[in-house]
Amino acid sequence: MVSFFRPREYYRPKNLAEASSILAASSERGRVIAGGTDLLLQKSKGVECIVDISKLGLDYIKENEQGICLGAATTVSAVHASPLFSSGPYLVLSEAAGSLATATIRNKATVGGNLCNASPAADLPLPLFVLEATLLAVGPEGERRIPVHEFFKDVNVTGLSKGELLKEICIPPCPENAGTCFMKLRRHMTAIDIAVVNAAVLLVCRSGICETARIAMGAVAPTPVRARNAEMLLMGRKLNEHTIQEAAEAAAAESKPIDDLRASAAYRKSMVAVLVSRALETSLRRCP
Amino acid sequence: MAKVHISIRVNGTRHELAVEPWERLVDVLRDRLRLTGTKVGCGEGECGACTVNMDGKAVLSCLLLAATVDGSEILTIEGVQQGSELHPLQEAFVRESAIQCGYCTPGMIMAAHALLQREPSPTEQEVRTALANNLCRCTGYEKPVKAILACAKAMGEEHHG
Repeated sequence: MVSFFRPREYYRPKNLAEASSILAASSERGRVIAGGTDLLLQKSKGVECIVDISKLGLDYIKENEQGICLGAATTVSAVHASPLFSSGPYLVLSEAAGSLATATIRNKATVGGNLCNASPAADLPLPLFVLEATLLAVGPEGERRIPVHEFFKDVNVTGLSKGELLKEICIPPCPENAGTCFMKLRRHMTAIDIAVVNAAVLLVCRSGICETARIAMGAVAPTPVRARNAEMLLMGRKLNEHTIQEAAEAAAAESKPIDDLRASAAYRKSMVAVLVSRALETSLRRCP
Repeated sequence: MAKVHISIRVNGTRHELAVEPWERLVDVLRDRLRLTGTKVGCGEGECGACTVNMDGKAVLSCLLLAATVDGSEILTIEGVQQGSELHPLQEAFVRESAIQCGYCTPGMIMAAHALLQREPSPTEQEVRTALANNLCRCTGYEKPVKAILACAKAMGEEHHG
């Protein structure tokens, strides 16, 4: 089989500073590789130069007083399997990781890759949106922190500038009494296909009253987005069938999906309401 | 266009190779090492015919850049057999008639091999999840799933005497 993926140069830098300077000096067709499960599919886009960050010690999950930090080259299967995300509010991350592609692909696909590929339908941005994660980037100017909701600029475009790489994803401590959930709709129950619509929710409630509501949606805009109108509707209100339905419809109204081969825009809008309402119900049930 | 030096162990044998920046692991296995048991179906990570084990985990060799697998331990379908003895998984596939044209079989066996290494007594759901990246256009999935469960059971009984 002929592969059209034909980079001319491959670099294995010794550290991130060297990786950054190679990328800064390369043409616009320089790309970072970690797992390669997205990059090797870029056959027509003319990748010319590859910088390998898979052996720079960026595969780690660390917990400290600032929260939990994930190295950008941590595999999706490691996130899915980590006991740190198996219960409590971080469950949303494990659920999203476990639904990404297939177990075989998750063994190589990385967290950083899923973010930097910036697919509108990507799964991992959504839990990171509702957990309000911060991304640590390294570039020629040094390090900087980017809130995850400011990272995505357009389809397959991130806020990283030339020569910048994603190093780490930091998840701040989460309120103990939060409940979260990730939901994903795919065609025909196939594991491999990307989302028709996906959504993540985080709720904090006390005596049934909503103190915090965060809702993120995917595959309904050029980038993952928060459903801010729906979130505002819930704040300070009693969470019940009625308010959940109202918020789900608000989320559908503020989504801006397109027609494509997977689904029509109208179908996606209806499914946003279904997924958001189910994710809110489940998150509420999970609030301790 | 500088070649990239890699050192890998494939089925227990060390290989020092100079690969092109665009070569995939599956190209190295098939074209350089002549291990043609690993198949290329779609070349896009959908069909799983190219599944091999890398450091004990099932991976798709069509989505792996050869340059990035330096230092790793690769197991292919040629390496699961013990001498002239078929691996219990291979025997189970034959016994349960889980093979028709055979093109997807090496990938299925390797996906199952990694699963049984990690989880010697998988549930049916775990087997189906492990095979979710392996497409078959002939027999379907019932018989491979049955074969893998039967193999796990037999190996467990043997292990416990």
